[in-house]
Amino acid sequence: MNTDSLITFDNVTVNFWQNNLGINSIKDLITKRKKPFSNKTILKNISFEVKRGESMGILGRNGSGKSTLLRTIAGLIKPQEGKIMVRGTFAPILAIGAGLELELSGYENMSLLLSLYGTSRKNTNAIQGIKEFSELSDEVLRMPVKRFSSGMVARLAFSISLANEADILIIDEVLSVGDQGFQAKCLDKIHQIKAQGTTILFVSHFPDGVMKICDTAILMENGEITHRGTAKEICDNYTLLF
Amino acid sequence: MLQSINKIHNVQNITRIYALSKRNVILRYKNSLVGFFWGFFKPLLYLLIFIVIFASQFPSVNNYILYATSGLIFWFFFSNVTNQAIGTIVGSAGLIKSLNIPVMFFPISELIGELFNFFLTLVVFLIVMYWFGITYSFRLFLIIPCAILFSVFSLGVILLLSSLNVFFRDINIIWGTVQPALFYITPIAYPESLLKGQHAFIIKCNPIYYFIKLGRGIFNDPVAPSAHLWNYCIIIATIMFFIGAFVFNKLKNQFISTI
Repeated sequence: MNTDSLITFDNVTVNFWQNNLGINSIKDLITKRKKPFSNKTILKNISFEVKRGESMGILGRNGSGKSTLLRTIAGLIKPQEGKIMVRGTFAPILAIGAGLELELSGYENMSLLLSLYGTSRKNTNAIQGIKEFSELSDEVLRMPVKRFSSGMVARLAFSISLANEADILIIDEVLSVGDQGFQAKCLDKIHQIKAQGTTILFVSHFPDGVMKICDTAILMENGEITHRGTAKEICDNYTLLF
Repeated sequence: MLQSINKIHNVQNITRIYALSKRNVILRYKNSLVGFFWGFFKPLLYLLIFIVIFASQFPSVNNYILYATSGLIFWFFFSNVTNQAIGTIVGSAGLIKSLNIPVMFFPISELIGELFNFFLTLVVFLIVMYWFGITYSFRLFLIIPCAILFSVFSLGVILLLSSLNVFFRDINIIWGTVQPALFYITPIAYPESLLKGQHAFIIKCNPIYYFIKLGRGIFNDPVAPSAHLWNYCIIIATIMFFIGAFVFNKLKNQFISTI
């Protein structure tokens, strides 16, 4: 095993319980009298390595296991088989609206999430930083998040997630929501973070974004890695899928 | 399970539980007209009904108001915390899917948020009960270990319910149906001597009865609760906690794929 690899996956398999009959209630369990859950394999024998400072893109159709893979990397999902080695700290997974409490205001969300992420920086500084990066006004940030537009939610979520310094940043299809100005700004920021030596794992449906950010990439289909290579090769493969 | 309990000692995790508990307290009263006073209205309304209908029926109870109120505040602690916490894992899907923190923190923080409410209610209760003949003594401090025991019991219940609710969403509805039954087989409005003979066992089978009897004994009775009663409560709380924690740990790896 390579010593400078930050993330190593060795034959990782993840199974989920699956509802056989769409059972979601005890009533169904009693009336339908079948075994309610079966195991479904979501990730099959996944092996890969990511080196420090390297950025990897993950491409694939909907339902090919990309998000599950990201969550497994971040330690949210425990694999049934295989070995995972991770050396480094994670920024929280950046997905659309992830973890924002809709009833709370922008400011309340900031301090809640900062405490949950375990930010070491002083909270007031961090909040100022988030506010500046998100370009949301005071007035907006005092409103409950449920009244934000989806672009504003993305801005806030993105800004809060980036307030943390971590070795690994995981981005799950988030840039598609913000307006062009903010997208460009996020890409800039991601480049800047990358230049500092942070490892980035990037899931997207837009090959362009992957090519801009990532060095290498993998293509997933039905829970397996079908292709791996440079970002350019994989993006070409991905476009051929459709 | 022991691992996740150990993690709580970590300072960062204490901050996290605190932040979640604070969120729960804020969320509960957000957009409400009278804020945390809602916590008093419900027991107060029940108390008024009890006084009007039952007080004269049970002359055997000395100081009915104190008797009923002390039962009610414990019951509402239990009722509120289970109602709030039962959907907490499903409701926190966004956080659970993006952040690596032990899922157990979510029910725990619901409990802490409700404990905060409970102690507010308790302070008001202790002041108001001055006019209804409560005796202030150092014995009242026993309410703290009593509340801790009841919390451990309640934690067991909410770990069980909230994790099952992930897979069977009607647990929520079933619990709402079961609760009134539990309320009426707990001697809150009536003295326990009401159920006699062959029906007396119903009360004894109800775990909540022991905690309410303990709490009430601290406020109301001329003699402090017996060591027997304390032991019962310790045993019941421990068993319930381990049942809840066991089920929770069996299921927790499947939470993410189901919520």
